[in-house]
Amino acid sequence: MIIAYIGIGLCILLLLFAFKSHKMMYFLSIMHSLSYLALTVWILNNLKLPIVYSPSSYFYMDYLSIFEVMIASIIFLCAAIYSRGYLKSLITIQELKKENLKLFYIPFNLLLTVTAVSFFINNLALFWIFAELTTLFSVVLIVVLNAKKNIDAALKYLFVSSTSMLFSFIGLIFLFALTKSTLGKGTLNWTVLMESAKLLPPVFLNAAFVFIFIGFAAKAGIFPFHTWLPHAHSRAPSVVSGILSGVLLNIGIYGIIRMNAVLHQSAELSFGMQYFLIFFGVVTIAVSSFCMLRRNNLKKLIAFSSIEHMGFLLVGIGIWSPVALFLVLIHIISHSLIKSLMFFSAGILHRQYHSNNVNFIINAFKLQPFASAMLIIGTIAIIGLPPFALFISKLLILQQLADISHWLLFAILVFMLIAAYAIVSFLVKIFTGEKKDAKINQYITPFTMKLPLIALIIMALLIGLFMPDWLKDWLLTIVNEIMRI
Amino acid sequence: MNFLLMEHVIKLLLIFVIISAAIIITRRGLGSLVLAYQIQSLLLAFIAVVLFLTDGNIILLGLALVTLISKVMIIPYFIRNIQRRIQNVRDTEFSYLTPIAAIFVSIAIMLLAYVSLSRIVANQLALSKFFFLGAMIGLSLTLIGNLIMFRRRMVISKTIGYLTMENGVLLISMFVTELPFIIEILIMLDLVILIVLAVLLAFGIDNTIEEFHKKLGQFAFWFKDEEP
Repeated sequence: MIIAYIGIGLCILLLLFAFKSHKMMYFLSIMHSLSYLALTVWILNNLKLPIVYSPSSYFYMDYLSIFEVMIASIIFLCAAIYSRGYLKSLITIQELKKENLKLFYIPFNLLLTVTAVSFFINNLALFWIFAELTTLFSVVLIVVLNAKKNIDAALKYLFVSSTSMLFSFIGLIFLFALTKSTLGKGTLNWTVLMESAKLLPPVFLNAAFVFIFIGFAAKAGIFPFHTWLPHAHSRAPSVVSGILSGVLLNIGIYGIIRMNAVLHQSAELSFGMQYFLIFFGVVTIAVSSFCMLRRNNLKKLIAFSSIEHMGFLLVGIGIWSPVALFLVLIHIISHSLIKSLMFFSAGILHRQYHSNNVNFIINAFKLQPFASAMLIIGTIAIIGLPPFALFISKLLILQQLADISHWLLFAILVFMLIAAYAIVSFLVKIFTGEKKDAKINQYITPFTMKLPLIALIIMALLIGLFMPDWLKDWLLTIVNEIMRI
Repeated sequence: MNFLLMEHVIKLLLIFVIISAAIIITRRGLGSLVLAYQIQSLLLAFIAVVLFLTDGNIILLGLALVTLISKVMIIPYFIRNIQRRIQNVRDTEFSYLTPIAAIFVSIAIMLLAYVSLSRIVANQLALSKFFFLGAMIGLSLTLIGNLIMFRRRMVISKTIGYLTMENGVLLISMFVTELPFIIEILIMLDLVILIVLAVLLAFGIDNTIEEFHKKLGQFAFWFKDEEP
């Protein structure tokens, strides 16, 4: 089945080389993500998971990997639909050259293939390589615009992420050596590590985990490795920002979940490691919430909000109860949907004002009522208000945290309030910025740019209001699978 | 072959690796930085060959070959190629630390690596003193590479810092354990792509955005359509 994902990706890539028209590249990108989505749904309904692909066991498919690929396919599909109108507008105002369209569409589709395949990898070293590849392709997507600042942002992203990933690799080497000395044969296969974690010395396993954590934390934008994220997410074209925030951050969190699962199979569960994750989660929320105050750049604000949510996910992973893990999964999918929605809305506003700066955004409701409404709805969701699923996940994760520490619960509540205040006050500034004499030509948003936003908001609402039984069962299966209940 | 002799040869090579790191810390000329990196990578390839002669593990020979091709030939060639197009050939400014201070910090880093590794790794993995030394220098080199990245201003010299880090990781993997060869090959491929990309971005910073996109298009000529 994994061959099917790679095969589709390669076919699309070959066709992209052959065609030159924007329309065709756009169509192929939609077909690519749509076929991944269809394949994922088919696998979910027809195959008995998990499947380990022999003989090397380098590839593996379980309900968690299918869950992540499903999210990636949805976000990429929305981004692909959104891309044509957005890129056309960039070409019109010469922020993007028409002859560079392939420079966008090829890495875009490569990124989808590499991301999907990375979730099907059983071997941690191979997963590390694919996680690195996602960084490389997304860097190309950031520098596609005609702006030098994008190169700076891309370089920061590349260096911070790749440097941290090297520390992860040291952890993987030690883990491999440890399995070699304990089991007689070195392995980095997640399935084997889960089975044999009880035999591995806990102290050494914890030490390897700390190294591995550095790299995946950088991928997820966790403090203090988050410094690349606000620049990269705000400088990237909005269609790419939606993917970076909605899909690529999940790769880091996915890696942490997988490693934490191994750690919890160990003979002696170290509560120190639980507090280690919660500590970094809380500090990440604290730093990001303060950084959100007094921001002038809309996309930077949304980027900091992503950091805050990654911190929150880390707290949930640190708690590691079945309920907390279930809520983490709900939070992952809801955050991906809402964050992409917000970046895509910001993209429409950027097409209108050619700036993300709050001072340039005036008469937003009059000029861009759809994007403004979507941004407000997105804000309601992202700060954790009902009827969205983020409300449930935030509330119940905090309830779980109360069992560990009331002080931490109180601290996170304060930081969340600061973040909510920052984002709401920013929106108030945007939507009260009216100048009656301002003569700005209205940007007519194409329907293809509105459609993905409508789809995203409907999906987010459906999860929040009527969590379907099949989704609930699916998430419960993942929890059982990961926690070996 | 005589294991003791091999040990001495490797110890000597490791000293040269440390000297090459010291050169990368202190030199300002971009050309000499690339040369120091090239020599460091060559030393690593030699170490892999000597280790192969000691324990006969064929993976080490493959590793030496891959290192030689990617790190001694392809990457330095590519960096020099782009460097010629960049006007600035010297990275004169250092952030935070002067070269002498950085050498002292590097010595402290080596002590730190020694202490931390001896507490955790040596006991658990039952490494001999010799293999422990190799792993310790590998970890030190990784941290020194990180220090170089922090101190340097220009992208190319930051890239050399990253490559030094990567050499440190390679050294650790040679002395602690050998990963499957396919993984080593993929890592090298990943490294080559990363460096090509980083150096192209460096080119973009020093040139106009049009020239940068042209270069990016030349690098992957199929990425770009003909001008209408």
